[in-house]
Amino acid sequence: MMDKMMDIDLMDEFESPASQKLNMKRPAIVPIDDNHPFDLDAYINTYSGRTQIDRLIFLLPMCPTLAPQAYIMALQLIQKSRDTTQIHQLNQAYDSVLAVDSSLPSLADLPTVEQKWAEDTNSRNNADRQRLEVELKTYSSNMIKESIRMAYRDLGDFYRSTGDFSTSLKHYTKSREFCTTGQHVLDMCMSVLELLLEQRNYAHITTYVFKADAALESSTTIGRTASSGAQSAPPSREKIAAEREKVQTKLDAAAALANLGQGAYDKAAKYFLKLGPIKGLEHWASTIVSPSDIAIYTTLCALATFHRSVIKAQLLDNDNFSVYMEQEPYVREIITAYLSSRFNVVLENLERFSTRHNIDIQLSGHVAALTNQIRSRAIVLYFQPFASIKLDRMSTAFGWTNEQLEQQVVSLIEAGEIQARVDRQNQILKAKETDQRAVLFSRALKAGQDMAAANRKLLLRMRLQQADLTIKVPRSLMHPSEYLQ
Amino acid sequence: MSLAGSSNSNTQAQAPPAEQPPPVEQVLQEIVNNPGAAVLSKLLKSYPSKDKDVRDNALREWALEGQDPLSVLDPVTNTVGFVYLLAARSEPRSSRKPALVDVERFCAHFIPEHARLAPERLMTFATCLSTSWDPNPHLLLGPLFDLVTRYPPTPSHLTALHPAFLRLCVRTHHYSAALPVLSHPILHIETSISPLTYNDNLIYHYAGGCALGGLKKWREAEEFFEICASAPGQAAAAIQLEALKKLTLVQLILYGKAIPPPKYTHPTLVRLSKNSPYGNLARMYPAPSAELQAFVTKNLEVFRLNAGLVEQVVARAPRWLIKKLTSTYLTLNLSDIAKQVQSNTEQIRSTIIDTGEVNASISLDDTVTFSDTVTQFTKEDVESALTEAQEQAKLLFKLEREMQLNKEYLAKALKHKDEGSGGFDDEVGFSSWAEESMFG
Repeated sequence: MMDKMMDIDLMDEFESPASQKLNMKRPAIVPIDDNHPFDLDAYINTYSGRTQIDRLIFLLPMCPTLAPQAYIMALQLIQKSRDTTQIHQLNQAYDSVLAVDSSLPSLADLPTVEQKWAEDTNSRNNADRQRLEVELKTYSSNMIKESIRMAYRDLGDFYRSTGDFSTSLKHYTKSREFCTTGQHVLDMCMSVLELLLEQRNYAHITTYVFKADAALESSTTIGRTASSGAQSAPPSREKIAAEREKVQTKLDAAAALANLGQGAYDKAAKYFLKLGPIKGLEHWASTIVSPSDIAIYTTLCALATFHRSVIKAQLLDNDNFSVYMEQEPYVREIITAYLSSRFNVVLENLERFSTRHNIDIQLSGHVAALTNQIRSRAIVLYFQPFASIKLDRMSTAFGWTNEQLEQQVVSLIEAGEIQARVDRQNQILKAKETDQRAVLFSRALKAGQDMAAANRKLLLRMRLQQADLTIKVPRSLMHPSEYLQ
Repeated sequence: MSLAGSSNSNTQAQAPPAEQPPPVEQVLQEIVNNPGAAVLSKLLKSYPSKDKDVRDNALREWALEGQDPLSVLDPVTNTVGFVYLLAARSEPRSSRKPALVDVERFCAHFIPEHARLAPERLMTFATCLSTSWDPNPHLLLGPLFDLVTRYPPTPSHLTALHPAFLRLCVRTHHYSAALPVLSHPILHIETSISPLTYNDNLIYHYAGGCALGGLKKWREAEEFFEICASAPGQAAAAIQLEALKKLTLVQLILYGKAIPPPKYTHPTLVRLSKNSPYGNLARMYPAPSAELQAFVTKNLEVFRLNAGLVEQVVARAPRWLIKKLTSTYLTLNLSDIAKQVQSNTEQIRSTIIDTGEVNASISLDDTVTFSDTVTQFTKEDVESALTEAQEQAKLLFKLEREMQLNKEYLAKALKHKDEGSGGFDDEVGFSSWAEESMFG
């Protein structure tokens, strides 16, 4: 019974990310030219494992110029994997790009997957699955907890490699019942986290980060008490601390990605900045999120949400983060330009690397929102010291036309971000002068009136309740139109 | 108009009740002799029978020496008798309706303290008046007004007369007649003065809101609709939903946007109203007139009941759009405004100048310069506000004292104090795994 319910839940869960993807705002086609440089080989080679294929399939529909190259790359990678279902996804992605640009070679002209490979892989998968299931059955009947846990874990790994994620998650979570130490729980949490991150199922990541945190806590404290008892412990203490830091770094990365995925950019930036050294990420650095990705995500999120002083202290003057920044030198350029108020450079750079940002599997849906926030903050920052400024001067600083600037400024005024008004006739932006005394007076008087009215209404309400004149049964009343004609 | 003296011939033919009460003439004489209001009220309550219908039938047929007793009795000395007779005679089944002169005479002169001895009878009479048998219902406004203003101990007491009067005002479109009554907010509810139901409160405030809306007193109308919509109860009444719809429209006229109703409003009402076309209208407001008009036309059937208000809401949209521009621009060309508001320049010019609501000047080359509205406060303003606040504070203080003397309150407060501390032992451990959201 429980199992069945669980199944249903798991199925639901795996459908949701797909529907989320549909809602995401993504550009249909991204430009790739001298002004928007992008090197597919270099990009893909920083990753390894399944994410390479995922990323290729993701960027295929957006880049018609790279489509055939990406197709062939993905095809080769798939043939090295064990998941035959990906061929179908790849073909679909290519079909959608064909629909946009019909000058591309059709699927028939491109190399296809070897039939023999598909058959071989499928039969091998079948054999493996049967073997693992038999193992699980034997262990279960023998009631050996540790072996059962490992059998579940292996099945989870197996299903993950063949692309059956819901079954994989089911087996991972099932193994939890047979965990005997904190370390086991931690291992299971890490496996689930990897799986969820691959699936970009952000909603549940924080739950597992929380669980893993607790497991980490308990496993290290147990380790410490055990070591203080035994004499041979001292060398292992440092090892434990190092191990702990690595796990913590991964957990922070997972939490950061989850927050980014759900649009909580400020939290995402905070978590990214908590990350330890790159080596703490271990294999995650290539399978899930590369250090250069982290540099980009952190910078964009921080610029969109942090104050200038915080950006300087936490990004530029942060030794740990500067290691990440070295991976993508243009990021440092953006930050320094932002801090020295050269906003046109910031915006130019954002535009220049928009292709890189847009085809990123994690960032893609948020590029537009992040760019908007950065732009708004920049305008607000720029205008702050002025009482009035010519629109011409401002538009040169941002590299826009006057109309574009006015549009931006007006939307910011309406949102209450800038206290100013536009003088359209003289093309001047002028800060609002408010008579604080008058404002205070009118606010006080209004507050007084509102309070008196609220008191009156609440008193009546109290009296009604005291007299028990409350509406009880939903009896149909006379139609209101009777009193109104 | 006069309905008196139609059939007093069969008075004598009435079968005498079983317990042989005193003959009719004697009782009438009693009324005339005026033995004191309390005694009389007790007597009439069960005369000639305890059964209400029998009593009313009997009272209806009464006559005094061949004359209509109403024309003989004096409303000042015989208030109680008058009330009983009027109530019985004005009922819908009655064939002998009281004459308007008598009704007027009574309402203008009755003694409130005496009338309060027979509240239920008086309410019957008032309800009959308001749902009236008269071909010219507006003639009854005067008497009802007298009733409403003279009967309650203070103008801020709610009585069942209030909704009756308001309904008549709204029905006959005599909105301003209700103003003196509406200007006193209701603060007291006493069921001993008149029998009240929750409907009385709802109808009074709803109809009051309609009347004030009809007079374009939007701020007051807003308060009345809000009171109706947020009245306490476990269930939601249909009239509250109507009130909430009207509240939304009034707020759009008044502020250019809808303000969420108070937190204590029934959640069903809020949801229903939000999902109705009214909610959608509020969300898109203010938009160019053409857009709004198209939306209204599309939902004509829904807006039919409030067509007048909706029309005013739509008509006021350009004003809010221009107002929005004043906070973002210092100067604008007239044609630019027209483009933003999607209306022609002439109309804008007249909106700006005529209503006097937007503080701006137009130069020869059609440049509009917006200037801030400067509000000045005099010492008197501040002082009067302070006095008001002090009075409020005094009132609240008094109420709190009353509350603290209340036995029930004290009992509850003490109980809470005993239970005071103690909370959940919130240990989060692995045992909670199974309840995680993932597993349902």
